Amino acid sequence: MKDALTKEEVLHVAELARIEISEEELQMYQVKLKTLLNQIEEVTKINDHDSDYLIAPWQEDAILRSDTEGEMLNSKDVLMNAPRKSGNYIEVPVVITNE
Amino acid sequence: MSKYLDLSLIEINELLKSKKITPTDLVLECFEKIEKNKDLNCFITLDKEGALEKAKSLEDKEIKSLTYGIPIAIKDNIVTKNIKTTAASKMLENFIPIYDADVVKKINDADMIIIGKTNMDEFAMGSSTQTSFFGNTKNPWNKSLVPGGSSGGSAAAVSARLTPIALGSDTGGSIRQPSSFCGIVGLKPTYGRVSRYGLIAFASSLDQIGPMTRNVYENALVLNAICGKSSNDLTSYETNEDFTRLIGKDIEGMKIAIPKFYMSDAIDKEIKDKLNNIIDLLKSKNCTIDYVDIKYIDKAVPLYQIIAMGEASSNLARFDGIRYGYSYENPKDIRDLYFKTRRFGFGNEVKRRIMIGSYLLSGKNATTYYNKAMAIRDDMRNSFLKVYQDYDLIIGPTATTKAYPLGQDLDDAVKAFMDDILTIPVNMAGLPAMSLPIGFSTDHLPIGMQIIAAPFKEAKIYQLASFIEKELNLDLCPKLGGESNE
Repeated sequence: MKDALTKEEVLHVAELARIEISEEELQMYQVKLKTLLNQIEEVTKINDHDSDYLIAPWQEDAILRSDTEGEMLNSKDVLMNAPRKSGNYIEVPVVITNE
Repeated sequence: MSKYLDLSLIEINELLKSKKITPTDLVLECFEKIEKNKDLNCFITLDKEGALEKAKSLEDKEIKSLTYGIPIAIKDNIVTKNIKTTAASKMLENFIPIYDADVVKKINDADMIIIGKTNMDEFAMGSSTQTSFFGNTKNPWNKSLVPGGSSGGSAAAVSARLTPIALGSDTGGSIRQPSSFCGIVGLKPTYGRVSRYGLIAFASSLDQIGPMTRNVYENALVLNAICGKSSNDLTSYETNEDFTRLIGKDIEGMKIAIPKFYMSDAIDKEIKDKLNNIIDLLKSKNCTIDYVDIKYIDKAVPLYQIIAMGEASSNLARFDGIRYGYSYENPKDIRDLYFKTRRFGFGNEVKRRIMIGSYLLSGKNATTYYNKAMAIRDDMRNSFLKVYQDYDLIIGPTATTKAYPLGQDLDDAVKAFMDDILTIPVNMAGLPAMSLPIGFSTDHLPIGMQIIAAPFKEAKIYQLASFIEKELNLDLCPKLGGESNE
């Protein structure tokens, strides 16, 4: 088992996680992520288990919430923590660019 | 300085009823103690104004319970309306919730007084409270040591008697391990016993909120106050019972199992010796003690890594810099905003876990890792449940070691998981478990044991714990202010 991921592997994982990483961090993650993944690999070697899947840690019958109107949040409160807002809207940066 | 808060809740209640003291006296004493022990860094946010206001409002109210007027600290991953809630992350450094968690509502209904929000590992990811964006908490028994984690601020605050009660959360041992390191009583309830609504999610199938207290009886009182079904958390259950009802009842002839894994060479000898003393004590009460095997218990850590990191990556996807929380200042487009917000907003431990989790859930990996881990987890749970067909309780140590020095192995990606090797299996099976102090090491640091019950059998845990607590009669008050503990 190799001791480090390739740079491409780390960049792929960071892309999945939507996290930008620096060149310095890249090197660190090559080793650290691999250490964790090596430990995790142990699980793939287990093949004598009986169960197919666990859905919930403790389950009874499906529980449904009563279909009644609940408390509503008002937009002023909801917008209180938004980093950028304009009137009753949350502002977002450019989504589609020409690049 | 008054010392009412060193008294038991029953004694405090008598003083309140006879009007010798008011809830305001308790709050003022509490903040005096917090100020005096600032260096422990137990709190991220304090709410003195809110606490005094609540104390004042209680004065005209009838005293209906033992929790009336009692100050309580809340772990900072449980949302509190109008009180900053950070989860110890830069990502939520200035986040002010607009609603109360279900447990917070219940704490208020029980006439307790919230004094502030306790320090923790960032997003509860860690076992030493050192991954906090707001600096580490110190262990009140020796300030050069970790308090454990992730609920380290809550554990240290109760241990140092800054507050009689705190709430913590436990995903892989985050209530029990710091309780063991700080010499207090911490309970992780059965999954579903307490509503998770308003708990900032780490791993949703494992997380559970629980009480951290100075003694067993007061722990049961707090569980009485916070348990129950909520329409906001459909995994919660209605369970109407009094958890103090078996406290003090005879334990003669109880059947107790110890997983062989819990007495392996990985456990410090000092800790095993203390547990052996407890085994002798229980045998003297004609309890049966047998050693048992639990399927896959030795694989609990890698199984947990898959499940906890997978679920964390999904839960923490919501932090995008748009609706709330930290947001990168001048992004060139939306992608830049996502990537840079998450780069600068999360700490290293959290980023590592999100990355691994995203990888484990991507494409076919979800089947290879997550689904497989959930299947094996089901087997492990069934193996635990089988033991409870023949035994009342399972016991073992809480942690493999006592509290260790601040900074030790801080850079080790695996250390935080290995600290929880004895507590993780309990979360995997959704069981209730307590860490109870059972003595001290030769250098006078607290050592804890775990008592684990079948689902929804917390009352049985309190029964055994109250017996051991009474027999040992330990002095669990650390000597603060530079005094020696010897």
